[in-house]
Amino acid sequence: MTMGLVYHDAYLRHEHTPTHPERRERLQYTMDQLREEGVLSDPAVEELDPFEVTDEQIYRVHTPEYIERLRSMSATGSGRLSADTHVSEHTWSTAKLAAGGVLRGLEAVAADEVETAFVMSRPGGHHAFADDGHGFCYLNNTAVAIRHLQATTDVESVLIWDWDAHHGDGTQSIFFDDPSVLVMSTHQDGRTLFPGTGKVEEVGSGAGEGYNVNVPLPPKTDDEAYLEVVSEIFEPIAEQFDPDLVFVEAGQDNHFTDPITDLGVTAQGYAALMESAVEVADGLADGDIVASLAGGYGIEGGLPYTNLAVIATLLDFETKYIREPAIYEPPTETPDVSDVLERVREAQAPYWDLP
Amino acid sequence: MIVGIDTGGTNVDGVVLDGSGICGTAKVPNTETRASIEEVIEALRDACDRFSIDRVVVATTLVVNAAVQNRLPPCTNLVIPGPGLAPDRSFFGAENHVAAGAVDHRGRITEPLEYDQEPTYDVRAVTAKFSDRNPELERELTANFETDPQAVALGNESGAGLTFPERAATTVANARAKPVFSAYERAVEQAIAEAGLEAPVYYLKGDGAMLGSEAMRTTPAHTIRSGSAASALGLVALTDMDDGIVVDIGGTTTDVSRIANGFPDREPDVSEGTLETAYSGITATSLPIGGDTSIEPTDSGFGLADERAGDAAALGGDVPTLTDALHVLGIFQAGNVADASAALRSLGGEPEPIAETILSEFEQRVGAAIESIQVEGPSPIAVGGTLAPILGPRLAEAHEAVTEAKIPGYADVAGAVGCGVARVSVDTAVHIDSHRGIKTITAVGSERVDSVQTGRQFTDKEVRQIVAEAAQDAAIAAGGEPNKPVQIQTTDGFSVVERGTVVGQIINARARVAPGIERWFEEGSP
Repeated sequence: MTMGLVYHDAYLRHEHTPTHPERRERLQYTMDQLREEGVLSDPAVEELDPFEVTDEQIYRVHTPEYIERLRSMSATGSGRLSADTHVSEHTWSTAKLAAGGVLRGLEAVAADEVETAFVMSRPGGHHAFADDGHGFCYLNNTAVAIRHLQATTDVESVLIWDWDAHHGDGTQSIFFDDPSVLVMSTHQDGRTLFPGTGKVEEVGSGAGEGYNVNVPLPPKTDDEAYLEVVSEIFEPIAEQFDPDLVFVEAGQDNHFTDPITDLGVTAQGYAALMESAVEVADGLADGDIVASLAGGYGIEGGLPYTNLAVIATLLDFETKYIREPAIYEPPTETPDVSDVLERVREAQAPYWDLP
Repeated sequence: MIVGIDTGGTNVDGVVLDGSGICGTAKVPNTETRASIEEVIEALRDACDRFSIDRVVVATTLVVNAAVQNRLPPCTNLVIPGPGLAPDRSFFGAENHVAAGAVDHRGRITEPLEYDQEPTYDVRAVTAKFSDRNPELERELTANFETDPQAVALGNESGAGLTFPERAATTVANARAKPVFSAYERAVEQAIAEAGLEAPVYYLKGDGAMLGSEAMRTTPAHTIRSGSAASALGLVALTDMDDGIVVDIGGTTTDVSRIANGFPDREPDVSEGTLETAYSGITATSLPIGGDTSIEPTDSGFGLADERAGDAAALGGDVPTLTDALHVLGIFQAGNVADASAALRSLGGEPEPIAETILSEFEQRVGAAIESIQVEGPSPIAVGGTLAPILGPRLAEAHEAVTEAKIPGYADVAGAVGCGVARVSVDTAVHIDSHRGIKTITAVGSERVDSVQTGRQFTDKEVRQIVAEAAQDAAIAAGGEPNKPVQIQTTDGFSVVERGTVVGQIINARARVAPGIERWFEEGSP
């Protein structure tokens, strides 16, 4: 089993403000953990160098007007797309390198250069729309990479599971009318968290109707409830959709230590979620799966362990010893998600056969 | 004045270097460590007008030989993995115990130590994940042993820049090498005292740098490849070679090493027998054939037996060797040709064809080793060992991969010269966490934990200065001299933010005193 790990020190260059939650040490503490565990020097891990995406690749997704605005803002060295999404001198090149990282991971898996891939890039992408960005996102890395893959390889259908705690509003909007890319999002209910979208009723439009699945979960939702969503919604829809490739937008901010969200997933929970994604890819997509780090702001107690859990699962390594240190207390609440599941079943019933 | 001593399988070689070059050499048979070293020092004293020794540098293949012959003791490997990948990734002992307890990436103890098993073996390695950020759990576990074990090695003492599995493997290697090395080191100390020297003793590492005796006692697995490193350094110093291959033909082995940019080329993760380390060592191949290798009948004729039988028959030994073959062919005449001839005949054939077969096998195997480590096609070779003047030119003639063979003066004691020209160099890692107010310095030997002002921010210039000083200090602690040039390998830092406020900085930096060669010689002259 070989896994491509896409990473570059240049991903540390982009900064919002010195105290912004989306900071460079999100990657650095995880890299510390991976290095110390021997993952980086393991023969099963191949480090893949990202490259910057080209204009042609970007314009498959984004409007020239938006790109010009972003490029010139970055060239002047300051500005912002929204109150918390800052643009600095390195933002433009780092955003292109982040999108190129996802593209590199997808290409490597599609071309069988590696069996699976984990992309550890920043800034993230799933809040970037065709013509605007916010939520710490500039280019929609995932959309740029998938569009390129669809244009240049025989990969036609892609299943995106966006498990970031925040709804991936940008990704949803880009693929909303596209039946070739099924976007399934599990996220903390928009009534309690940015960006507020991601309602059950948002099911896609036009030819894409039925190819957008939203599962908004109540605050504190724990491992067990997440696994219920997996077996009752994710797996049956994946099986019926039968993708060529599985893509996980791996937001690690469902972890119970995350300071800006309010969910209850543990590192073991992440291993279990990734395991189910891998099983789906093994069963339907010849094992072709790429995971890309999205959110995750529990920099010390969460990220090193959740990222390790996801990576170890992709590598088929033993994961049972991966957990948070005992100084972090996991939550004890177990909110009921049966109501949400029932509403998802109803909304998706016209398109999918759900148990 | 510096004494260099190379203890090989056949001989102990010694040289004395002073400011102007080599002032004396000696070669004595390697019988018993203490006696042989004492004897070589006495011979050196006789060879020099003045004998005022500042340091003694020794290369030994003892640990390697014990590893290859499976004579190293078994080890209980105690690991403190905390949360993460499966602990068995760090199981390198004959017995492996997992203790509870955890250090995190910031060096905080996030779970207390718990260990209630009894180790089976008296040789023990103790390694915690992230012990390079905080050595406390390793020390605590060791302090709790009920009896004093024969040897204990700690992960935080094993060196800088290792991952947890690498550190565990290396620490096990150090623990297992300790008893053999310590006994050897005591014998060397005694011999030097007997010979009336008061100079400090250093040992050559497999990467061509040296360590003081205390640092080497802590990390004796560093001696893997030190024999090859000694001759490679010596031949570089004697020939001023920039790029090429060096070949050291000893009595027991022939070492073939690669030289790049005027120093032996190095590679990571050197291992020998069941000893696995993450130390770097010079790129070398050690062939089990040399002047004293015996000749034996094979299915298709005659061949080298790949083991040393003793002296050549020409020199009074019992068994025919490569050296006897050279006598029979008339290209080396140090002993009795008739005895050599008779010994080869006793194998059941005409001596001359046997000798030709044997010589060509030797040339062919050394040539193959040269080609296997050449990176850019044909290159010059520098040849050391007593037989260098005889066999060196033949290697150049026999192989297109060899453009010329340089045989410097003192080729017969090249390894001892290499010891004399080595420098102390220690990889050093500095980790500063000014939010926690601590600075940890990992090098060879006990990790140092200092305090720094809480919340302090460091400029890049300050970081470079701190790591350069740490590398100097580490080198001096390992026996080095002050004011040697330092290579800064990496520096990296970022702010720690808590609840929206910058509360400190985390810095990782690595540096080392540059490995180097302390004295250079004109080719062939002292």
